[in-house]
Amino acid sequence: MPPDPRPAPATTAGSQPPPLIESRPEPAPALPDVPAPVALRLVRQPDGRLAAQQGSAVTPVRPVRCFPWSGPARFISLRDDGDREIALISAPAELDPASRAILEEELAHAGFVLHITRILAVTDELEIRLWKVATRQGLRTLETARDEWPRPLPSGTLLLRDVAGDLYLIPPSADLDAGTRRLLWPFTD
Amino acid sequence: MSARARQRDREIIDRYTDQPSRLPAELRADIERSTGGKPVQLYALVDLDRQLNLSESWLALGPDQVAIARRDGGGGWSIDLIDRARIRAVRETPGLSCHLLSLLGPPDEPPLVQLRYTHRQRRAVDVIRAVLEQPAAAVAAAADPADDRYADAVAGPIREAQALVAGSDTAIILRLLGYLGPYRRQVAIGMAAAVLVTVLSLVPAYLAGYLIDKVARPAQDGSLPRSAASDIALICVGAIAAAYLLRSLFAWVRLRFMAFLGEYVARDLRSEIYEHLQTLSVSFFSRKKTGSLITRVTSDTDRLWEFLAFGVVDVSLSLVMLVGIGAVLVSLDWRLGLVMTLPVPLLCAFIFLHGRRLERYFLRAWRQWSRLTDVVSDTIPGIRVVKAFHQEDSERARFGARNAAAMEQFNQIHTVWTRFWPALMFAIHCLTVAVWFFALPRLLGTSAPTLSAGTFVSFLLYATMFVSPIETIGQMARTMNRATSSAHRIFEVLDTEPEIAAPTTPVHLAPVAGRVTFSDVSFGYEPGRLVLKNLSFDVAPGEMIGLVGKSGGGKTTIANLIARFYDPTAGDIRIDDTDLRTLDLGTYRRQVGMVLQDPYLFHGTIADNIRYGLPSAATAEVVAAAQTANAHDFICRLPHGYDTVVGERGHTLSGGERQRISIARALLHDPRILILDEATSSVDTETERVIEEAIHRLIQSRTVFAIAHRLSTLRRASRLFVITDGRLSESGTHASLMSDPASTYRRLVDLQREVQHAL
Repeated sequence: MPPDPRPAPATTAGSQPPPLIESRPEPAPALPDVPAPVALRLVRQPDGRLAAQQGSAVTPVRPVRCFPWSGPARFISLRDDGDREIALISAPAELDPASRAILEEELAHAGFVLHITRILAVTDELEIRLWKVATRQGLRTLETARDEWPRPLPSGTLLLRDVAGDLYLIPPSADLDAGTRRLLWPFTD
Repeated sequence: MSARARQRDREIIDRYTDQPSRLPAELRADIERSTGGKPVQLYALVDLDRQLNLSESWLALGPDQVAIARRDGGGGWSIDLIDRARIRAVRETPGLSCHLLSLLGPPDEPPLVQLRYTHRQRRAVDVIRAVLEQPAAAVAAAADPADDRYADAVAGPIREAQALVAGSDTAIILRLLGYLGPYRRQVAIGMAAAVLVTVLSLVPAYLAGYLIDKVARPAQDGSLPRSAASDIALICVGAIAAAYLLRSLFAWVRLRFMAFLGEYVARDLRSEIYEHLQTLSVSFFSRKKTGSLITRVTSDTDRLWEFLAFGVVDVSLSLVMLVGIGAVLVSLDWRLGLVMTLPVPLLCAFIFLHGRRLERYFLRAWRQWSRLTDVVSDTIPGIRVVKAFHQEDSERARFGARNAAAMEQFNQIHTVWTRFWPALMFAIHCLTVAVWFFALPRLLGTSAPTLSAGTFVSFLLYATMFVSPIETIGQMARTMNRATSSAHRIFEVLDTEPEIAAPTTPVHLAPVAGRVTFSDVSFGYEPGRLVLKNLSFDVAPGEMIGLVGKSGGGKTTIANLIARFYDPTAGDIRIDDTDLRTLDLGTYRRQVGMVLQDPYLFHGTIADNIRYGLPSAATAEVVAAAQTANAHDFICRLPHGYDTVVGERGHTLSGGERQRISIARALLHDPRILILDEATSSVDTETERVIEEAIHRLIQSRTVFAIAHRLSTLRRASRLFVITDGRLSESGTHASLMSDPASTYRRLVDLQREVQHAL
């Protein structure tokens, strides 16, 4: 794999290169650019569902980001009820403004994760780790497995997954208060 | 669900989440009042509001209505009701951490309501969704009170992640010590020896002081005749020697008895946990990682050996020693005694805090270490890919970087502890210096009261014995922690009750004729996610049923239910018109056989493996079974024949060979009901033919459920059941289903043929 041309995020101290198994922030330019299907429109059906309109065919769909962490703005797969891809939007900018607005709305839902703003306490217990955190959405107590480490994302943000499957983003340490940084220290490089 | 499990779920919710462990009572009353006194059957917390902020709303299900309770501005609740009759469909839109549940009315109308919630609430919401979509689930849902269903759904993931036993650490340690009960004699001997060791180690220091004050000095200043002095001195030295000798003797007794004792208890725990594991249901094993269970039987019990053999004695004796020496020091000379003893609690506190500080460093090192081992466990099995893509250099760099990071981290730990211990030693030596400082004027007689040289020497000798108990006590927290966590993990297994409950008056059905009846069977591995939905069929003895359908459709689940690895969520299964749940499991299982896709062979000889279900089988029977299974021939080609060791670290057999051994195993077992999970992997035509032949012989005169892929098996089946999405969508013979051009079965067969042609 070629060396990463981007400057290392400010929080990644030391000689540690970003893990190579992480996906790149943008798909390699060598990949063929998949054009947005011609005349794809997104509409909201009366029952509130997002639907893809291609010609006369209208299919209820659900958008899925192909690169949720490394390139959330591009490559959005529209999937039908059988979880089959109806269309792949490589760049939402190619959609008409109305469709784009609906897509953004829908993605806000589908891509929603909790954003941690402050860590209040981290306690290690038998086989689980207990986190008390303040999030943008409110206070939350969550548990992770003891051997589940926050995953560093290309942006320097950390991604935490609790035992129930909920996801939490922790901003780069520069944006955190001293107490949070201290609690987070064992989990950062 | 036992009362204890229910209580535990609620404790988990209270302790580990910030949500109520049940629907608030007054809200429940409000809801029931507003629905005309109808009970709340199920409920779930809805924890995201429309703006996706965390909030508290409740979704409650009654017999006729669905209630949604949201906080109103004034701290009360506003309750919206929806008639269940108006709900035409329920739709869940999954997201990364926010799921959207829409209750839909007539098509082309806005949803009746939309609710947003995180993963944590999903299981509980799913149960409600399943009931709304599927009346069958309601039957199962009604079995447990709503509170329990909710608590189980929310606490489930945490419970599965954690080896949690209700009870404090003290309770755990006490329970562990309870295992010493049968070995009271050994404990008493070991403890007595340990006490004697401690007492005896106090003797030499005392005698040294005595020798100086009462023998050496009187002899030097002439108040004691030299001959008498040397006699007494000899006796004292002899006593010191005897004290050392006895001390070693008792140390040996203590070590030996406690080491043996620890081993006895570890053996008892290992047996108990292993025996208990054998009684647990399959579902337990699918929840827990194999590795974690193996660790519990092996290294956790080993750690407890360490604790019981040494930890218990060390910690209790160190306390005795510390108090004892402190008392001796104070009684020798209270002023100097206090100089030495008062700072001790402070030192213990320092050691404790140091341990706490190190934990954070260890956590970092652990993380770096697992990143390092990840690379190794990643690339060694994938070495062909590494080489094929010529990525050796980048892999080397990846490993190198992580290796350096791990080393860096370990050196940080070394920096911390190497600084600490010399500093601690220095602090202790400072105490000695302080003792000298205070003692000297009194020794020299410049300050009152005077101190005798002998007393001072004893004092100094005792003071040196202070160090090791301080160390032990400082590390006590860690010792206890390790022991309690191992004990927790073991007790968790021991406290798990088998989910397949044994009937109180079991019916012994021997022999089983082989009639299998499913009536309205629904089943889900997780609450709210039904894999089988209202499945009904009746299979006569001796019939051969081919189960066909897409993977994940529920075929294996049907097999699991017939073997009673699980009980149905709703509906019942009858064997020869007797409810499966009332049958004696042992008698029944002896008459059920399984030939699995990837047959598991145990470590042992081929003969042992064939004999597994019937260890008493004669050699001739083993050979006959192998012959019938078309296995005899290849077995005899092996250099060790039937005595070839297979399984883990044994001789490697091909898939087809293992298949035939497992067929021989099933033949010897001679089950009345046979479950046959055919391998999908293709083997060469000749092997295919011999396996087919073996299967053909195996299925004669029994009830067979075959998860079939081979056309030959499908043709032979008396009836085929096409399972689509947990339902029986088609059934009939191969010929009848093939004659229907629109049948799913025909499509599947055509598809398979095309694939085979393409190959």
